[in-house]
Amino acid sequence: MAASSAAEKEKERPGSVSIANVPGNSTREKLLSVLEDLEVLSRELIENLAISRSQKLLQPGEENQIIELLIHRDGEFQELMKLALEQGKVHHEMQLLEKEVEKRDSDIQQLQKQLKEAEQILATAVYQAKEKLKSIDKARKGAISSEEIIKYAHRISASNAVCAPLTWVPGDPRRPYPTDLEMRSGLLGQMNNPSTNGVNGHLPGDALAAGRLPDVLAPQYPWQSSDMSVNMLPPNHSNDFMLEPPGHNKENEDDVEVILYPVWSSARVDSGSRGLP
Amino acid sequence: MDTSDDAGNRLRFQLELEFVQCLANPNYLNFLAQRGYFKDKAFVNYLKYLLYWKEPDYAKYLKYPQCLHMLELLQYEHFRKELVNAQCAKFIDEQQILHWQHYSRKRMRLQQALAEQQQQQPQQNSSNASSAGK
Repeated sequence: MAASSAAEKEKERPGSVSIANVPGNSTREKLLSVLEDLEVLSRELIENLAISRSQKLLQPGEENQIIELLIHRDGEFQELMKLALEQGKVHHEMQLLEKEVEKRDSDIQQLQKQLKEAEQILATAVYQAKEKLKSIDKARKGAISSEEIIKYAHRISASNAVCAPLTWVPGDPRRPYPTDLEMRSGLLGQMNNPSTNGVNGHLPGDALAAGRLPDVLAPQYPWQSSDMSVNMLPPNHSNDFMLEPPGHNKENEDDVEVILYPVWSSARVDSGSRGLP
Repeated sequence: MDTSDDAGNRLRFQLELEFVQCLANPNYLNFLAQRGYFKDKAFVNYLKYLLYWKEPDYAKYLKYPQCLHMLELLQYEHFRKELVNAQCAKFIDEQQILHWQHYSRKRMRLQQALAEQQQQQPQQNSSNASSAGK
């Protein structure tokens, strides 16, 4: 009865510190089972002694057996205790090692974070450097010699095209754009009315009627410069922008000329007499 | 054949150069708008074609560089529609002229400031001299 109860208890306790993961094989279970046996044996022995005292029956063989079993079990118990002690030490070492592992783990994570940050910084630096290279390329493409720029600047400011003359007052006919007179004396205007060429290409009636400053009227258009090479011609044929078939090229130029001539008979009055408020 | 082509191309160059610069004149733009030229699709395409004048190789021939800005604005339909009003053209004209005068006004202001400074200095010099003499 006692033996069967011991077996039951053995099955109930699951192994916690187990060397092998076989149920019933752990040190704790072994210890406990040995303790059970010891308990059982000692109880039997004491019962036998109690019975023998009351009954005066001699059973030396059984007592001896029980005592021997008891001693045996005790030996087992001692061994198991030593085993348990060693296992405890091993367990302690394991815990220390686990702590070390944790420390290393956190070190690695920190390194990982730092690497990630560094990667991000490098990525932004590389990106910005690429952008800079692009802008350098762009600037290089658009590079113009400073001499040319100065020449151009001189040309457009000397003729008062971008900066008003210092003596300008409201009522002065000069403007930052080509005035009607200049437009008419240009090539476009001349193509329309070649018969009415006045002195220097100016319509004499205009100059007299307006009484304007003579130096303004001289057309100083740079298209008469000789350094224009044949390569500097308009890039695409004017056919392209027409929706009609290509034969209408001339027609468009005619339109342009036609626009120009009748223009300013009405608007000219405005531009001459208008001053600034 | 080549020479006649060249001559034709030269002429076209001059004509387009003149025309694109005429676009700097807001009154001319108003005129074009009122005559309905901006509604013509072919004309609008021609304006787009004229954008080649923005390249530095061509732009160096322009005497009135403001025409490029007007050309850019003319690419927008809203601007073309607005130009029908004479007030719009007048406003643009005034702003252009005021901007044109920007540098001369700046120079005048600098000259005035310099003149005032010089006036103050002789007065200080004379007061210093009189106090030092005593």
